[in-house]
Amino acid sequence: MIQQDLRQALRDVKSLAADGDHGAAFRRLTEIARPDHEFALQSRYAKLFDNSIDAGSIDLKPLRLAILPTSTVDHLADVLRFWLAAQGFRADIHIGQFDTVTQTVLDGNSELYRFKPDVVWFFGSGRDPVLDVAPGAAEADIAAAVDRAVGDARALWSALADRHPCDIIHNNADIADFDLFGNFAGGAPWTRRNLLRRYNLALAAAAPPGVAILDLDHLSAFYGKGRWFDRRYWYHSKHAVAFDAVGRLAYQAARLVAALKGLAKKCLILDLDNTLWGGVVADDGLDGIRLGDGPDGEAFVDFQKFVRGLKDRGLILAVSSKNEDDIAREPFQRHPDMQLGLEDIAVFRANWYNKADNIRDIVKTLNIGMDSVVYVDDNPVERALVREQLPEVAVPDMPQDPAQFIPTLCRELYFETTAFSVEDTERGRYYRDNVARDEHRQSFTDLNQFLKNLEMRAIVGAFDDFHLPRIAQLINKSNQFHLTGTRYGEDAIRAIMKDPKKICRYFKLRDRFGDNGLVSVVILDCANKGGVDIDTWVMSCRVLSRGMEEFICNELVRTARDAGGKTLRGRYVRSKKNNMVADLYGRLGFSKCGEGDGVMEWELAIDSPPFAHPCHIEIEQVAA
Amino acid sequence: MSDAGSIRGRLNTIFQEVFDDDSIQISDETTAQDIDDWDSVAHITLVLSVEEEFGVQLNAAEVGKLENVGAMVKLLIDRGC
Repeated sequence: MIQQDLRQALRDVKSLAADGDHGAAFRRLTEIARPDHEFALQSRYAKLFDNSIDAGSIDLKPLRLAILPTSTVDHLADVLRFWLAAQGFRADIHIGQFDTVTQTVLDGNSELYRFKPDVVWFFGSGRDPVLDVAPGAAEADIAAAVDRAVGDARALWSALADRHPCDIIHNNADIADFDLFGNFAGGAPWTRRNLLRRYNLALAAAAPPGVAILDLDHLSAFYGKGRWFDRRYWYHSKHAVAFDAVGRLAYQAARLVAALKGLAKKCLILDLDNTLWGGVVADDGLDGIRLGDGPDGEAFVDFQKFVRGLKDRGLILAVSSKNEDDIAREPFQRHPDMQLGLEDIAVFRANWYNKADNIRDIVKTLNIGMDSVVYVDDNPVERALVREQLPEVAVPDMPQDPAQFIPTLCRELYFETTAFSVEDTERGRYYRDNVARDEHRQSFTDLNQFLKNLEMRAIVGAFDDFHLPRIAQLINKSNQFHLTGTRYGEDAIRAIMKDPKKICRYFKLRDRFGDNGLVSVVILDCANKGGVDIDTWVMSCRVLSRGMEEFICNELVRTARDAGGKTLRGRYVRSKKNNMVADLYGRLGFSKCGEGDGVMEWELAIDSPPFAHPCHIEIEQVAA
Repeated sequence: MSDAGSIRGRLNTIFQEVFDDDSIQISDETTAQDIDDWDSVAHITLVLSVEEEFGVQLNAAEVGKLENVGAMVKLLIDRGC
């Protein structure tokens, strides 16, 4: 039965909703719900969300998700709807007819296509892959069987992409808890256990961009294979996964969807004392803090290594500590067991301001959303303050024991991703260079002098395969500097590159302080008579207000004229996050020629040389 | 070993929690027809909660055969709860 305080909390949620305060009710519900709670509770959360809380009064993005299952998933869908809401989505979920996955995908008239999903989830399990390999089989037979099974998945993805391109989530095989051959199953390549291991690896290798593999096997191991496979409910009504695992499965899926839509967390803000090392450096001194030797010290070292790994992966690190600045920096500079250097930290704030103010300052300095931040602090009082003042910031409940820091952080799945590009590993450096630029800017009173002094140089190029992942990332993950809100997967971008009526340009920018990498992408459409339309213009917020907007505008004018256009047309499509560019075209000298329904049309005559915007950016190279 | 009365009391609390309705009062004759939300998923949720509360494990066939509360009470008494 449900314990007292949880019961009371659920009653509080219900009465908040009954009073009409749906925002508070929903917030309270997301505070008490945990993915590891048993099914009876998950069901309650789902019902409270569906029946008592008015989803219309919370700020949620619509999402159409189709689940194509080979088992019964109705109960999972209800719980998933709640966890998707916790990630900011109002999900409309369509469940495909039981065990008719292939037919559903191949039939262009099926309900699946009428539903027009944003995401399709192929919900298979370890029972599905057909791997007919006799005991003792040779390598050639094994490879062929795995190939065939992976080929089935590939065929599904192609068939779907041909008829309705959308994001895909695909379960890999959760490998069974027992095998006919016992332990030997791990020692021979032809046992089902090892066949499925090979299948899972081959599936991951075969998945194209746009298909995210959900590692069901890992999830089953994490949950505990002994509990994950509840055969009673398979025999009873074809439930592939134990009911009590549904919370964790739904949570994982929701975090994966959030990652697909660019909403995973980007930045980790860390406290120092008792978080990165044991003890308080101001009191214990450099020699007294616990880092390196002893059980505590080793745990802190491993935690630092882990955090450094996150930064190497592409996440941004910042520090917010109540300390004198020089005392806080000392371990980074002089302690032999520190795994993090000051160069790993994009913004370092050691002062006596309250943590919430520091976080606000850090977020503003980095120019990122408050909702992309995770704050890690060992002190429950500080955590409570931040949670209360900054409800969008994720604040995990760090335990006392540093040995548990890594699992506690990982379990929340804040940093899920569905793609990786080498540019990601440079991201921390870009942000750090940017902060250096800002600090440099403060020493100039004349903006023009400052910009000139930056020695900015840009590279303009036509889209190519090498830059495609980063181009796709910008188009799909940008929210603020995105004029039209277009989203194109890599396949769609490739098609656009081949289209003779489209001109596609990427822009890179570097300066005295470092290389910002590829920061903007534009797609021009020359299909309409007389004018060239700016179909897509996205830019990284890292390089705002330095003249890049003017530089790109000048380039677009030149490119459009070379293509024979007499007018350059821009469109602004209002979204929740792109208000900053609402008047961009106006500032660039375009005239407004239409407005309505959250859309503004702008045009600029370019047949006689128009005024070219001055900017302090030189072209280094034009690759087109 | 508890008596049927206390078993019924604990079952009643489980029903109230699963259906989120403090006014529910079950009797031995109560079946799925009597409670609106008692569908197949709710049935499994009830079984899981009963298993947890009374420390028993039902098999697949038993799960299907619990047509009314009286059957649940009888099963729990037979199991020595």
